[in-house]
Amino acid sequence: MTDELVRRAQAGDQRAFRDLYQQLAGRVYALCLRLTGDAGAAEERTQDVFVRAWDKLRSFRGESLFSSWLHRLAVNVVMNERRTTIRREQRVTPVADPEVLERGKGEPSVGLSIDLERAIAALPEGAREVFVLYDIEGYSHGEIAELTGIAEGTSKAQLFRARHLLREKLNR
Amino acid sequence: MNERELLEAAGRLPKSIEPPRDLWPGIEARLRRSRRWYWVPLVAAAAIAAVLIGRGREGYQMTWLAGAGTGTLRVGEWVETDDSSRVVIAVGHIGQVEVQPRTRIQLVTARADDHRLALARGAIEAKVDTIPRIFFVETPVGTAIDLGCAYTLQMDSLGNGLLHVTAGEVEFQGTGGDARVPMGAVVLTRAGVGPGIPYVEDASETLKRALAASDVRGILTAARPDDAISLWHLLRRVDSGQRAVVYDRLAALVPPPPGVTRTAALALDRAVLDGYWTHIHRILFRKVMLRGVRDIDPRTGTRAR
Repeated sequence: MTDELVRRAQAGDQRAFRDLYQQLAGRVYALCLRLTGDAGAAEERTQDVFVRAWDKLRSFRGESLFSSWLHRLAVNVVMNERRTTIRREQRVTPVADPEVLERGKGEPSVGLSIDLERAIAALPEGAREVFVLYDIEGYSHGEIAELTGIAEGTSKAQLFRARHLLREKLNR
Repeated sequence: MNERELLEAAGRLPKSIEPPRDLWPGIEARLRRSRRWYWVPLVAAAAIAAVLIGRGREGYQMTWLAGAGTGTLRVGEWVETDDSSRVVIAVGHIGQVEVQPRTRIQLVTARADDHRLALARGAIEAKVDTIPRIFFVETPVGTAIDLGCAYTLQMDSLGNGLLHVTAGEVEFQGTGGDARVPMGAVVLTRAGVGPGIPYVEDASETLKRALAASDVRGILTAARPDDAISLWHLLRRVDSGQRAVVYDRLAALVPPPPGVTRTAALALDRAVLDGYWTHIHRILFRKVMLRGVRDIDPRTGTRAR
C-alpha cells in the first residue's frame, strides 16, 4: 500500500503524497517535537520535512522502508535548520535584550504532558538531541555524529549528561 | 528512578504524536511553488551562469531593529522573529520589507527580474519602488504581486489573513480567484479559499459583514459609490444569473466610462472589465490622495459640488 503510494507520488501524484503525509505525519511530528522541544517549531519542521520529501522523492530508490528514509530526512531537516540558525545568529547580533530570545525556551510546550516528555523538552539542546536520537530513536553514536556534525565522543558525553539530568529531574 | 527505569520509560514513549492541527494545507501551498526535479537542468544552468559572471550566492542585507545587528539572508534561508524583534530586509535595490514580531519568512528568489519571499506566518510591511510584477510574496493561500506599492500583509500559517495597501496597487493571486487591491483598500484571505472581495478602508460594517457572508443582496444594498471596487470584484465572481443585477448596481453607483458596454461586461470581456477597473481605480486614487484637501465625487472622480 505504502509502496504504491510512493510510486504514485514519485510520478507527481499529490493526492498520493497527501495519503503518505496522513500515514506518517504523527511519526515525523513526534520526532520534530522531541528534537526541538517546542510545539510551534515542530509544526514548522514537520511541514519542512514533507516539502523536502516531495522535492527529493525521486532519490528514494526503495533500498529501505519509506518511513525510515523519511525519518532520516526529518533528522537532517531539523539539524540543518539548527545549523542555519546558529550561523545566522553568529552573523547577526540580534535584539538589545538577549533574554527576550530565551523567553519561552525553558518551559516545555503544550502537548508534552507526561513528566518524562516534559523533562526531555527542558534538556539543553545538544543533550536533548542525542538522548532522543540514541535512547528513543535507536541511532548509534556514529550515526548521530554523522547527522549532527559532532564527534562520537561528544555524542557519548551528551548522552551521559542527558540521562543524568533526566534522572535528577524525575527523582525530585 | 535509576538508569534502567529511565531507559524503559524512554522506550515506552509513543513513536507517533498527532500534530495539534492539520499541517497539510501549509505543505500543499508550498508544494505548488516547490521546484521539482525537472527544474534541475535550469537551476544548474543558472548557477553556472552566475559563476561565469562572477556572482556569488544571492542574498539580501537585513538589519535587526532594537539592536545594531546586520547580516545576509541568502536564497533558501528563513528568518524568524520572536515576540519582540523586528528585521528590515533590503529587497535588492528596489525596496525593503520590515518583518514584524512572530514572523517566519523565507527568501525564495533574489534576481533582478524576480524578487520573491515566502511568508509562512506573521506580518510584513513592504515598500517597493519598481516596475510591476518584479516583487512577489508567496503565502499559504496565494501570491501578493507588487504593482508598485506599499502594503501590510499579515497571515497565520493556514492562510487566514489581511492585505492592506497604502500606496499603489497589489494583485493577490489565490487558488480560489484573484483580487486587485488598490491604495486605501483591504482584502481578507481565508485558509483553503484565498482572497475575498476587497473593500475600501472606510467601508461600512454592514458591507464588510455582507462580504464575509458572501451575501450578494446585502452587498448590493450596503454598497455606496465609494465601494465600487467591491462591486467590480463581485461582478466577476457571481454566477451569470446574478451578474446583470450586480452590473446594474455598479453602473448606477459609478457610471461606466466610454467603451464599457453592458453586454461586454456581462460577458466578462477582459479588456472591457480592465477599462472599468482603470476608471474606478482612478476615482479612488484621487479620493484618497486628496483626502482632507478637496472633496471628490466618488461617482465621477471630479470635484464634489
